[in-house]
Amino acid sequence: MATLYKTAQSEYMDVDELIDEKERQSNIKHRVLMVASRGSTYRHRHMLNDLEMLLPHAKKEAKIEAKKDMDLLNEMAEIQGCNNVFYFETRKHTDLYLWISRAPSGPSVKFQVQNLHTMDELKMTGNCLKGSRPILSFDANFETEPHLQLLKEILTQTFGVPKGARKSKPFFDHVFTFSIVDGRIWFRNYQIAEKDSETGGDLGRNDKPTLIEIGPRFVLNTIRIFEGSFGGPTLYENPNFVSPNVIRANLRKSRAVKHVDRINSAKAKEVRTAENPLPTDPLNDVFN
Amino acid sequence: MSDSEHEYSENENDAIYDDEETALEMAALESSAMIERPAKEFINHKAALSALLEEISQKSLKWIHRCDIVSTQPIVVEKADNDLDRELKFYQQGLEAAILGKQEVLNAGVPFERPNDYFAEMVKSDSHMARIRQKLLDQQKGIQNAEEAKKQRELRKYGKKIQHEKLKEREDQKKVALDKIATIKKRLRSGDLGDADDFDIGVDSDGDDKKSRFNRGAKVKNGRPQPNKKRQNKNEKFGYGGKKRGMKNNTSDSAADMSSFSVKRNKSSTFSAPSKKGKAQRPGKAKRQRAH
Repeated sequence: MATLYKTAQSEYMDVDELIDEKERQSNIKHRVLMVASRGSTYRHRHMLNDLEMLLPHAKKEAKIEAKKDMDLLNEMAEIQGCNNVFYFETRKHTDLYLWISRAPSGPSVKFQVQNLHTMDELKMTGNCLKGSRPILSFDANFETEPHLQLLKEILTQTFGVPKGARKSKPFFDHVFTFSIVDGRIWFRNYQIAEKDSETGGDLGRNDKPTLIEIGPRFVLNTIRIFEGSFGGPTLYENPNFVSPNVIRANLRKSRAVKHVDRINSAKAKEVRTAENPLPTDPLNDVFN
Repeated sequence: MSDSEHEYSENENDAIYDDEETALEMAALESSAMIERPAKEFINHKAALSALLEEISQKSLKWIHRCDIVSTQPIVVEKADNDLDRELKFYQQGLEAAILGKQEVLNAGVPFERPNDYFAEMVKSDSHMARIRQKLLDQQKGIQNAEEAKKQRELRKYGKKIQHEKLKEREDQKKVALDKIATIKKRLRSGDLGDADDFDIGVDSDGDDKKSRFNRGAKVKNGRPQPNKKRQNKNEKFGYGGKKRGMKNNTSDSAADMSSFSVKRNKSSTFSAPSKKGKAQRPGKAKRQRAH
């Protein structure tokens, strides 16, 4: 274990020489392990690649079997020297779930990822340095509830690139925004454009910078927060979360109800016509 | 005694029960149906969450290691489907964070802006950015083309309207003029010269009579103005009615017709200068001066 700790520390040695010894010790190093499960679609794979490009302190791992190997994630993180894990789980080839966990013992969160748009989409025209540190922008709603505060802390420690990370670049040119709308967390990534967009020259002193979206963009729907890493007692359960399976089942049931109603009404019609025969017409035999 | 009284109670269901016990049972069942079952409780251990937050938070770290900005205003969106409103709010949140973040970064003594000569790998490759640029250009061009096509359509419609109106005007004018001429001619023939003031013209053909202009020489037949000879020939050849079947074929007469052959013309070469005909040759300068 000591050798592991030493090797992990040595990776950060080739950074700014002006860093104070004291500061170096208090500088907590975060590294993120990114893992996907088997059966992910092209969109999920692209999203994983995009995040890997944006987070220079992340390390990608090979795909794992969803149900068997989830227990091994903690060990894999320890081996790689990562203290955070992003696990992208794809179920039924359609639903994407994201687990964010603090490896050894810390809390973990399970999200459902919706409305996923990757960086490849041509409508997102911004660009940024590969590995530059982001500015994290949180909605004021994050301070209202204790579970939201915990989520804010977890997101800061995972999406925020630590200063002096190995592949990071020194300048700031993009901002991650996390907002809470409709009980979900919306993620956007914008490039901070300081130059005037038309002339390419520097902006005046009083001009605001413009933001251009880089991508990716997604929506995280909180499902549960666990006390341990990938397990343990539940600390928070989202009351508004409806599993996509339940949604699909309800849809199918509503269509089934239509069919069943039609059959029942046909039967009822038979019974009704049997019970109420038409009265005989006295004028029936007039022309016979 | 009390049972018999209960038998004839108002509620007709109770009349069935002769036993007080069963009546009590039924009452208990009915009341239990009205009890609200508690809604499913969703776990939310606020105290444990706060304690965990304290444990994992990095308070000792300076801001520059975290770089997180909390917005001053919470985001309130009435409808999550309203894309424009929602994205605008996200943009504003991001912009505010960028401005505040820049301040904090500069306060911490770290460079914020990327200098112009700093070239490094970007998240999107150059070819990707070129495709994006191309798409934007195509969009703009498409919009321009659509606008131009619309303008052309409008102009054409407008131009057609104008042309139509002009034609109608000319026809009306022509009709009016012809009518007036017809009335005057009628009066002429009938011998009434009183209302010649309509046109302000004399009846006798002066040099610049409107009437005389119309009735000049060869251009009158049956009192109606006729087009010129060329037009008349063309009308005969291409106009309505009449036999045109074999007009372009030769007959024996037309084949034997030698009137259009001129020996002199056939013998002359096209490249020689045409000779002066009809005009006598002018004597040279010397002769002219002597004669003078």
